[in-house]
Amino acid sequence: MNTNILLVEDSRDDEELVLLALRQAGISADVAVARDGEQAVARLGNAAEMAAMRMVLLDLKVPKLNGFEVLKRIRANDATRRLPVVVFTSSDVRSDIERAYELGANCYVCKPVDFVEYSDVVQQIGRFWLALNRKV
Amino acid sequence: MTDEIMIVDDSLTIRMDLQDAFTAAGLATRLCGNLAQAREAMAHGAPALVILDVLLPDGDGVDFLGELRNDERTARTPVLMLSAEAEIKDRIRGIKRGADEYVGKPYDSGYVVARAMALLRKSETGKPRAPSILVIDDSLTYREELAKLLGDAGFRVTQAGSGEEGLRRAADGRPDAIIVDGIMPGITGATFVRRLRLDPGLSPTPCLMLTASEGAASEVAALDAGADAYVRKDESNMIVMARLRAMLRQAEESRERSRAAGLFDPKRILAVDDSLTYLEALAEHLRLDGYEVVKAKSGEEALELLSVERVDCVLLDLQMPGLSGTETCKRIKGSSALRNVPLIMLTALEGPEAMVAGINAGADDYVAKSADFEVLRARLRAQLRRKQYEDENRNVREEIMRKDAETRAVRRNADARAELLVQVEKKNAELQMLNKEMQSFAYSVSHDLRQPLRSMDGFSKVLLDKYGGAIDDEARHYLQRIRAGAQRMGALIDGLLLLSRVTRADLTARPIDVGQISRRVYDRLRDAEPGRNAELALTGDLKGTGDDRLIETVLENLLGNAWKFTGRNTAPTRIEVGSVEQDNERVFFVRDNGVGFKMDYADKLFGPFQRLHSEEEFAGTGIGLATVQRIIHRHGGRIWAQAEVGRGATFYFSLGAPAAQKAAV
Repeated sequence: MNTNILLVEDSRDDEELVLLALRQAGISADVAVARDGEQAVARLGNAAEMAAMRMVLLDLKVPKLNGFEVLKRIRANDATRRLPVVVFTSSDVRSDIERAYELGANCYVCKPVDFVEYSDVVQQIGRFWLALNRKV
Repeated sequence: MTDEIMIVDDSLTIRMDLQDAFTAAGLATRLCGNLAQAREAMAHGAPALVILDVLLPDGDGVDFLGELRNDERTARTPVLMLSAEAEIKDRIRGIKRGADEYVGKPYDSGYVVARAMALLRKSETGKPRAPSILVIDDSLTYREELAKLLGDAGFRVTQAGSGEEGLRRAADGRPDAIIVDGIMPGITGATFVRRLRLDPGLSPTPCLMLTASEGAASEVAALDAGADAYVRKDESNMIVMARLRAMLRQAEESRERSRAAGLFDPKRILAVDDSLTYLEALAEHLRLDGYEVVKAKSGEEALELLSVERVDCVLLDLQMPGLSGTETCKRIKGSSALRNVPLIMLTALEGPEAMVAGINAGADDYVAKSADFEVLRARLRAQLRRKQYEDENRNVREEIMRKDAETRAVRRNADARAELLVQVEKKNAELQMLNKEMQSFAYSVSHDLRQPLRSMDGFSKVLLDKYGGAIDDEARHYLQRIRAGAQRMGALIDGLLLLSRVTRADLTARPIDVGQISRRVYDRLRDAEPGRNAELALTGDLKGTGDDRLIETVLENLLGNAWKFTGRNTAPTRIEVGSVEQDNERVFFVRDNGVGFKMDYADKLFGPFQRLHSEEEFAGTGIGLATVQRIIHRHGGRIWAQAEVGRGATFYFSLGAPAAQKAAV
């Protein structure tokens, strides 16, 4: 089956929590995980994979290339220029939020500590952005 | 001002002769044959220097000098009087009227040009500047009062609270004059003046002492110590000012006098003899050596002239009617200002007793009168050389001491300034580093510290959802406790981050409506708990000036607290946001009818992590009010609270003046 969400996330816990939340929300998406910015950029180069991709869940603080660098490359690549990118990160620093939107993020969501809120947010993100970018 | 020398003389010969001499020296001239021409020439601009005859066809040169001195443009222009008048009274009249120099006719044109050049140099260096005054008094009130008066009068003022500090400040600042209180704890005014007079670099500084008592004794003590003037403290400050001005004027004059007699300037000789024939012959011969000779016919005239004009040597006839040579000599040598002027006694046929008396009176040398002036000229040269040698020595000594004192003061100042600069730079660097550290700390807190909490809360929740049926109540309770702990920690981190951000955030003050923001905040609280019986009342004028985002944070906390602490009310919740005018300032308040608190704890309210209620009673982080206080302080305002247990609490805050908000950081 084709993967349709690219999760850029270095924390294995957060990865698992996202997968749990998606499963709870009944979203049967295939999630590809990149543990750092370089892995994420390598996947962007795979045209076949990108053709099926429906959204990117992007953490900002990841090793090697950070989230902003990855975002820049997504927007610079013809195959991924229109791919919805949701920044999903711990930071609620104003300058991070402004910079992410400036670089072309579609949505900026702060990861809540409370898992009930967390899973709500993931559910909404999954439904909205996946639906918006449904491939026919 | 032009660079021209204006020559006013009715003799065409003199005008041409002086014009030639000045042209040869590279100076332009403007020639006037009478006062009318001189006045007309003045209309075309003030000259650099004026050479002025006294007897002119259409008036008195001294009167024209008065006109020059009264004219703003020429009040300080050097004026050299050139006159054939034999009467020494005219000479004194001219100098008293403000002439800088008086040369008798017949004159030596080289001498006139040399004097003119010296005067031009002097007027260039003698630019006025605000004199600096050191005020030493142990009473701050008196000091401030005097400093203000002096400052208003255009003086620069430094202050010292004790004699010891005064000595230090005098050495560092080298003031133009000092005003010192006679009676102070520590060293007294008299001791201060004595020490000042011992310091060669400071000894010429004019000193005015303030004495407290009526008695003549304290005034004598003041003068005895070396003060130049004294004023009783109960006298008006205007008298202090007048005395100070007189003191500064005298000091300026004595400086001018010593400057005027430069070492290489042409020499001026005062010849005193009752015989006009002898004086003429003497002058004739001395002029050949390039000396300017001033002729006085009596001891009285000589003394009067010496009081207004400085000379380089005095030739004094021993036998004169009126004031005798011996008596005149005594007076001259008894005056501190004239003591150093060489004096040669001229004797005719007097016996050795008279001569000894003359020498005893202080004469530096004696010469027997004769028609042969060679001996006199040689003796005169010797005396002038000696005087010049002494002056040179003294000037060099004074210069060295002055330079030394200046270097010391400059070095001390520079050292202190450099040290201060190093300290300030170090502190700045430290602050910048701390600020940077704080920022990266806050950033990593916001990024990294919340992740583990999400794991705790998230996996506990999953455990509860998935395996809740397989574990007993106790196990479920523990999992709930883990989740509560993680969430509380998350709230604490959020609170701390907000507090640190509020401190650094830019503050933009604009008109705001506290009522409107309160309504918005209250609606959010209500939406979260729609079942509660509650109302919000907005009273008074709630317009203010502040940063809307930060003030919203303030109201979120204050209304949030009001909402929280009314949560157990039996009566309906009533929250009031209003304003009162207090000390020309608008004070806003948020009042509730909740549980209140004991006023004993009022001062603890605004400290971070201070809580008046247990977590059991009311949840909270203890950071909210600390954040509120910081925001209010950054606006330049104040915050305080009034409460009673069981009767609700009221929080008051002001937002400061709009101007203060910009300055507050």
